Amino acid sequence: MTDENAAPNSAGVWTMILTDVHFWVPAIVLLAGLVVLHWIR
Amino acid sequence: MEFSGKHILSSSVESARLRKLQLVGILCGFGAGAWLGAAEAPTKLVKLGVSPLVVSLLMVVGVFLARWSLPALIRGTGQMRVDIRQAPHLIVWGVLAGCLWAVANTLTIFAIRDIGLSIAFPLWNINSLLGIFWGYLLFNELRDAGKLRWLTVLGGALLMFAGATLLAFASSAQSLAEHPLRGILAALAAGVLWGTMYVPYRKAYLTGMNPLSFIAFFTIGELGMMLTLAMAYGGGPDALLHQLELAKPVLFWLMLGGFVWVIGDLFQQYAAKYIGISRGIPLSNTNQLWGLLWGILVFGELRGLSTSLYTQVIGGSLLMAAGAGAIALSSVTGKEHARWKQAADREGQRYKVDAGYVQAALSGNDASDPSGQPAPQSARTWLDYLLVIAATAIFITLAVLARAPNLALNWTALFALAGAMVIFLLACGLALWKTTRFN
Repeated sequence: MTDENAAPNSAGVWTMILTDVHFWVPAIVLLAGLVVLHWIR
Repeated sequence: MEFSGKHILSSSVESARLRKLQLVGILCGFGAGAWLGAAEAPTKLVKLGVSPLVVSLLMVVGVFLARWSLPALIRGTGQMRVDIRQAPHLIVWGVLAGCLWAVANTLTIFAIRDIGLSIAFPLWNINSLLGIFWGYLLFNELRDAGKLRWLTVLGGALLMFAGATLLAFASSAQSLAEHPLRGILAALAAGVLWGTMYVPYRKAYLTGMNPLSFIAFFTIGELGMMLTLAMAYGGGPDALLHQLELAKPVLFWLMLGGFVWVIGDLFQQYAAKYIGISRGIPLSNTNQLWGLLWGILVFGELRGLSTSLYTQVIGGSLLMAAGAGAIALSSVTGKEHARWKQAADREGQRYKVDAGYVQAALSGNDASDPSGQPAPQSARTWLDYLLVIAATAIFITLAVLARAPNLALNWTALFALAGAMVIFLLACGLALWKTTRFN
């Protein structure tokens, strides 16, 4: 019998993170913020 | 029949619990406003010749110290290990949120320098509108909430925005904008970053992470990003050390600002957890009213203005208060809460998080306690006491070295506002303890 709730391995977790829109929305906004900061400082 | 009776009982207990958690969330939202508003006061020291980057870095160091000691004091760091085991992926979002905060905070300091606190504050408070957007789009907030609740939340946020704009116009009468375009861009960018920072917050709390654990990872991203920025833009390590040496007399005040901010943010995170970001952010944005009170009463801003300008300030404040009141009264319905649960289930399935852990966190209980009753406080270890003692020692040392900034302050008003903050601290802390034991 397989355990459906078995924790995914590290590579699996990273794949899930990098294909998650919840990661990319803040990541892209962060990059944009850094660009603005670079310009105005 | 027996099943039906049990079911009715269980659902009425659940809805009573939900109502209680919402009230705690609303109280925390208002408490966050009071503490976050006070945390902006030290940024006035920028005008005393300290570089904005150093101000931001020192606030972050204060935040870092507070964040690693307060959770240890309240709950012990052992609970963090449980959270990491259950949802290790959330460390990434914690670090990401910390990076967003660091960049946003730095931008606000540039904005305050260029256009003044009074104009910058309402501009970056657009984050609440963005929070409602992200909450709806990504986390099912306000779905199936009904027209009335949509109207009160969105209408309340718009009222707050209108009030903030009115305050900005009134306050700008005294500000000397040296680089208006640059300052406005910085404030708006900070608002977008802060509005988006709640995406990681909400993700973490939907999945079940405790706010006290999340903020610990948050500080790693925050301090790492801030050190990188200070090194990159401050001319390298030697120049940074030189700046820190110059800032020695104000180190304590800036780090105290960070400490105050942490308490406000903790309440903000509990608000985001129990009433969602679409309601939690606007409520914590009442910090602008508190910021204004500090500015007018303690720092003597806006003195000698015309009656019409004072009318604008009072009108703007009333609009903001009305908006916050509308949002506070817009409770989460059972249907909407079911949509939150769907979003939580989606997260749990995607990252294989234990369903009991997610459910317990949504209802503010301890995952290890199947009865659903709040569990007793976790035991603290010698590491927790060490963290608290070290942070306290650093603050005491810096307080001894500190010099009072050369600013004219109204001490009576300062003590009155500090008293109001303490009342909020006690009320929110007691409500959280009684309802959730900080789970």
